[in-house]
Amino acid sequence: MRLKAWGRLLGAMLLALAAAGRAHAADDLVTRGEYVAHAADCGACHTRAGGEPFAGGLAFHLPMGTLYAPNITPDTQTGIGRYSEAEFIRALRQGIRRDGATLYPAMPYPSYARMTDDDLHALYAYFMHGVKPVSHPVVQTGLTWPFSMRWPLVLWRRLFAPDPGEVQHQMRERQFPDALVARGSYLVEGPGHCGACHTPRAITMQEKALTALDGTVYLSGGAPVDGWRPVSLRGDNRTGLGRWNEQDIVRFLATGRMPLGAAFGGMTDAIGHGTQHLTPTDQLAIARFLKTLSPQTPAADGWKYDPAATLALRAGDVSARGAALYVDSCAACHRTDGRGYPTTFPPLAGNPVVMDPTPDSLIRIVLAGHVLRATRQTPSAFVMPGFAARMDDAAVADTVTFIRAAWGNNAPAVTAEDVGRIRRTLAAEHPPLSLPLN
Amino acid sequence: MQGLAGVAACGTVPAFGASAATRPPYAPRFFNAPQWDFLIAACARLIPADIHGPGALALDVPRFIDMQMQTPYGHGAGWYLAGPFMQGADNLGYQLPYTPRDLYQRGITGMNAHATTRHGRPFAALAPAVQDDLLRAAEQGSLVFDEVPSAVFFEQLLANVMEGAFSDPIHGGNTGLGGWTMLGFPGARADFMDWVDRYGAHYPLGSVSISGERA
Amino acid sequence: MSGDARRLSPVDVVIVGGGWAGSIMAKEMTEAGRSVVMLERGPDRSTAADGAYPASIDELEGNFRYRLFQDLSKNTVTIRNNSQQTALPYRRMAAFLPGEGVGGAGLHWSGVHFRIAPDDLRLRSRVIEKYGRAFIPEGMNLQDYGVTYEELEPFFDKAEKVFGTSGEAYRVNGQVVGRGNVFAPSRSDHFPLPALKDVYTAHIFRKAAEEAGFHPYSLPAANASQQYVNPYGVQMGPCNFCGYCSGYACYMYSKASPNVNILPVLRRHPLFELRSSSHVLKVELDADGRRATGVTYLDADGQECMQPAEIVILAAFQFHNVRLMLLSGIGRPYDPARNEGVVGRNFVYQNVTTSTVWLDRGVETNQFIGAGGGGVAFDDFNSENFDHGPLGFVGGSPVWVNQAGVKPIGAAHVGGPPGTPRWGSAWKAGTIDTYRHSLRIDAHGANMAYRDVYLDLDPTWKDTCGQPLLRMTFDWKDNDIRMNRYVVDRIGDVAKAMDARQVHLVRREFGSPFDTRQYQTTHLGGGAVMGEDPGTSALNRYLQSWDVHNVFVIGANAFPQGTGYNPTGMVAALAYWAAHHIRVTYLAHPGPLAG
Repeated sequence: MRLKAWGRLLGAMLLALAAAGRAHAADDLVTRGEYVAHAADCGACHTRAGGEPFAGGLAFHLPMGTLYAPNITPDTQTGIGRYSEAEFIRALRQGIRRDGATLYPAMPYPSYARMTDDDLHALYAYFMHGVKPVSHPVVQTGLTWPFSMRWPLVLWRRLFAPDPGEVQHQMRERQFPDALVARGSYLVEGPGHCGACHTPRAITMQEKALTALDGTVYLSGGAPVDGWRPVSLRGDNRTGLGRWNEQDIVRFLATGRMPLGAAFGGMTDAIGHGTQHLTPTDQLAIARFLKTLSPQTPAADGWKYDPAATLALRAGDVSARGAALYVDSCAACHRTDGRGYPTTFPPLAGNPVVMDPTPDSLIRIVLAGHVLRATRQTPSAFVMPGFAARMDDAAVADTVTFIRAAWGNNAPAVTAEDVGRIRRTLAAEHPPLSLPLN
Repeated sequence: MQGLAGVAACGTVPAFGASAATRPPYAPRFFNAPQWDFLIAACARLIPADIHGPGALALDVPRFIDMQMQTPYGHGAGWYLAGPFMQGADNLGYQLPYTPRDLYQRGITGMNAHATTRHGRPFAALAPAVQDDLLRAAEQGSLVFDEVPSAVFFEQLLANVMEGAFSDPIHGGNTGLGGWTMLGFPGARADFMDWVDRYGAHYPLGSVSISGERA
Repeated sequence: MSGDARRLSPVDVVIVGGGWAGSIMAKEMTEAGRSVVMLERGPDRSTAADGAYPASIDELEGNFRYRLFQDLSKNTVTIRNNSQQTALPYRRMAAFLPGEGVGGAGLHWSGVHFRIAPDDLRLRSRVIEKYGRAFIPEGMNLQDYGVTYEELEPFFDKAEKVFGTSGEAYRVNGQVVGRGNVFAPSRSDHFPLPALKDVYTAHIFRKAAEEAGFHPYSLPAANASQQYVNPYGVQMGPCNFCGYCSGYACYMYSKASPNVNILPVLRRHPLFELRSSSHVLKVELDADGRRATGVTYLDADGQECMQPAEIVILAAFQFHNVRLMLLSGIGRPYDPARNEGVVGRNFVYQNVTTSTVWLDRGVETNQFIGAGGGGVAFDDFNSENFDHGPLGFVGGSPVWVNQAGVKPIGAAHVGGPPGTPRWGSAWKAGTIDTYRHSLRIDAHGANMAYRDVYLDLDPTWKDTCGQPLLRMTFDWKDNDIRMNRYVVDRIGDVAKAMDARQVHLVRREFGSPFDTRQYQTTHLGGGAVMGEDPGTSALNRYLQSWDVHNVFVIGANAFPQGTGYNPTGMVAALAYWAAHHIRVTYLAHPGPLAG
């Protein structure tokens, strides 16, 4: 009995070894494809929190209704199991579904048009052989007419989506100061599709710029997504990455936290599913490329720390608008000097998010709180509690106004109406984020 | 976003804007009218209003106690109440089968009965000095109310009165943060990084509660 | 195990208890490549849920409704002062406050993080060397731990690095390096973080203690004085002296806890599984009782389960470990009449009294500011740092100001100076005065072990599972009372150097029995002690059961007698020590590690 069991085990091991030899090359391709999936951040949209990988269902709350990310596992009925490689590549680069219908441009195919044949080949191999098929139908029911119709999408695609052939040609012709910047440009403009959130869109919803070549509007900050305002990634001193150095950006992409700020909103998923998994070299490439982006609005006065608010608070003077609220609710973690305790609790002094012309993110964090998620390198998560129950709209407006004007920050005041607008978006349809266990 | 709303995670936060001035008078849910009268009278003696600060009534301590009786605590949660029950030396601690609700029922009934026997009127109708004498007698344990030694009842009452005067207003007492202001306790701000090494400095900021109420 | 228990798939190691000891053992065993199931009786807990800001800043819930503590309604102990009495149930929280839930008391402790005085590890030998055998009072079961400071040092060091402990060293590798505790033994490294700032009262105490000729030092605190990343990669925030340590989950992530410092890494380890709301009933033994086969427990749905395992680690609170051994028949129960048997023997407590000093009414002591582990201490009368010969007692006591943040309900209970009524206008005046202008000094003394102080199973009262409660037979003894009174007099010396308006020295009184109604401390110890003699210890020096070699029992239960220090640092070091020997020896060669 015992001998027999050993024999079976040995046989199984030999078989496995043989299979491993054959599969080695294919595994490499699948592994590379998985890496491309991280670089393309597929999981951020197609994997629901707590759901099976890539089984879809994540909701996008858009002005025209709610859109659900489809199942992209290789399930033949509800996923993409029947896609040929050519069909897969057409969907990614041109936004055309297997049945010929046009995808909603929430799928960033104008960026994916830039992805190399090699990367898409590997990505296809990964989705066909490295992802578990999951039967999970995702039905689009949330869009209002006329956006529920697919035919205007065709028109949109023809008008705004770049031609993949032209794009590939343009990429070959483009000159870069060094190979790292070139790689960074590819990752940011191509698979990383950073512009999908961080570049403003026209009234017709296309990104106003798809690459750095298209001018300073590229990555200059996008419209709020789910109440979160994607900030400028350009070199603007106060509202962009002007004061972040390459290593700051690398740290941010790897861990979501660095001395000048912490990740929140949609960037949480972009880091969780995407950038934390990139190699340090690729993270550095992204950083170096982003640092080539000039400020959109070169400012005469860069941010400089002003201790006036700190000195007042430390003296017990809370007479400034919002100062008492700040001391009562915020200073425990972010300190009276606004410098916080980075990288545990991020600074508010000099933080581009705080000074952004659009205060939505700041208001939303104060109301609803947020979680700085654990990453592979940083197993600790940190929770910012929400203050929606503790503060009414006027109190939030006062607090946020204080934060935006203290310590050398110079962003305009916020009204209770601004807060009310954001508070109304925090409806039940946004499920509570799961809380970390540390 | 309840899960993330830190202020909501450990309890129910009263909505902002509810102030003492606009509140209707509190109608007790646990205590009946004579018991409520006793509680009000006793609280007023245990923490009287004086030059040092507000008394238990201004701090709504009776309301706090009535609200506590609705909680698991009032029903004896966390107390080992399995038999058999036998009395031992005092230093071995509480050995009765009663929950806080039971102790109040028996204790107040006993105090009122004693007051009526002795002075012809229930506790609440007596002069303050007489009330103090009765409370002291209860404290010293010279009375027994329906199997509850008066000292046990008194300790229960005194402990809850202190809690009502000095706990966060979220629990129904410490109205207007009067208890904290009287002591000089800053409340739920819970951050003294700027003050830890400022030796001898007066901490200048007033009290704040969990719900954000300030005094 | 009853017939209907569900038999689960075997694992390498099952750990009872999800506090510091359990989490450390789980981390070490997973590092060694072993599969681990950790069973915790209470619910899962986290900073986000249990330490939310500002909702958790609630003294009523934290310190008076015991939100994070053991539910006594299900399971408690009985207590008596001597074996002639009938022990009665500890029905309401008062004298000591055991924890419950993931993180154990490690989630809601204060954070004082000591090593141990080397002499305390071999106290019996040291006392005999210094004063002769006759110096040991009749009835005192004075014993050595069976392990030396030098052996434990690497594990103290490791624990401090995991906890992110703040402090100032005196001697590192034999060289004097700072203004730390001159009585402390040499360390292999500095504390990972600098000492916390002194709060005002600690500052006053430091000056006065120096003036009185003593040697004050900053208490070692597992409250991070700065942000910190520990060797496991987890991150702590800095302590902001909010004063909500003991009884609370730290909202700043700055107090070390299993939840913040170890579990974030363990929870994502593929070999680790945590089962909360899982109450262990018994360690199962094989037919001849020499080997454990696993544990039986009630799962979250009340279903009885048998979890088979190669190694059973008991890492619950001190007295729960002892009770599980008694319920499971591991080791011979202690018999006080014959002073024989080992499980339940040498049950010890800690001998703490608190004195108060009132300063001028112009001085605001701001007692609401505090850190649980912060403060200033002196060790001139701790351990064998002073000559006990003329004093005639064994043991000692550090003295300190450990202002952990005095909160208002607590202050109301403390009330005013001696003679102040407990209610009414005079109480108000006295309470306000005391809260604003006083400071408190503890004599945090050792409690020795005695032949007639012990633990066994109660014959009458049962828990909700029908198992007998543990019975404590405990009282203060003259030796310990004399020690306390001597050291409290030294507090009087310090108070004289403080410009005090009034001083109230609190001494333990002869003939005054242990009072279960007053909070004293939760530093319970002994009952299943470590040692080198199976006749006087339940565990060998590796915290392995002498009788059942695949059972290890980790906790303050292993202390043969009390020390003047808080126990957590020692428990953590013993956990790493035991884990080290399991890893290097036991896993390859299962069997007795000593004897």
